[in-house]
Amino acid sequence: MKNTEMRQELIQLGGGAHALAIQILGNPDDAADAVHEAFAKVLARPAAYDVNKGAFKPWFLRVVRNQCVDLLRRRRTVESVNALVNPGKAPDQALEALQRDESLKRALSGMPAEQRQILVLRDYLDLSYAEIADVLSLAAGTVMSRLHRARLALRGVLERNDG
Amino acid sequence: MDKTRSTGNPAEAHVNERLSGYLDGELTQQNRQQVSLHLETCRLCAENLESLRELRGRMGQAGLGNTDKEVWREMMDDTTVRFTRGIGWILFLGGLLIIAGIGVFMFISSTSMGVGEKLLASAVYIGLGALFVSVLRQRLIERKTDRYKDVEI
Repeated sequence: MKNTEMRQELIQLGGGAHALAIQILGNPDDAADAVHEAFAKVLARPAAYDVNKGAFKPWFLRVVRNQCVDLLRRRRTVESVNALVNPGKAPDQALEALQRDESLKRALSGMPAEQRQILVLRDYLDLSYAEIADVLSLAAGTVMSRLHRARLALRGVLERNDG
Repeated sequence: MDKTRSTGNPAEAHVNERLSGYLDGELTQQNRQQVSLHLETCRLCAENLESLRELRGRMGQAGLGNTDKEVWREMMDDTTVRFTRGIGWILFLGGLLIIAGIGVFMFISSTSMGVGEKLLASAVYIGLGALFVSVLRQRLIERKTDRYKDVEI
């Protein structure tokens, strides 16, 4: 993959990678740092991506996830996930949509990180089950059941929160 | 109440396991047909499927990350600057070390200076080096432990 193509891909993937990193690290600022570090890693060694081994998107998301795990290990503390704020709030966004988003983020913040990640990878980033298994280092056969459990858990929390 | 457990029917629970796969188009043809047939007769599973579909739509439209591409473009540029700066420092320090090594070797092997003169010159340079390392070390410690380093004035 050419460097300019890779840069364009990375710009496109920035928002999704940020969403995934927030689910792991618990706050938008640390998540942006992790994405920044992942950019640096990938751009320093673009040849590390082998086009024959699959799509760029899951590969880059795996780099982001590993970066997040490294950050957590370095800090040795898991940040509170209660402060999942919208980092890119647009002032003209409809209030109802904002409230729905906030409600969803609150619900996600109360769930285990593994469930949040699998939900974001599938329903926000639209990865296939095989790609999710690749990013999360899971057996391909377990993705469906884990995802289903995560969806049921999220639905349960939303029903409780929204009344 | 969890809709998936309301009937206690194991067969239905098994379908529930595959509802997500059905929704995501990840089932084999045979499994998809089985679930389709089940959905035609089971109102509960059909409702479950609809609520999961709605949930997926809600997740897909949510603003979970910063989607402003300009932010990521700027970050990428910053990354490139940091990367090239890093290469610049490596080249500069590497070259400096090699030149310094050659200088030290020539200085030691030179026969035009006496041992006393060499020792004197060495003491000056070693002293300068020790002072530099000491100041550098102190600055690094301060940088690491300063609680107010991130405060913007």
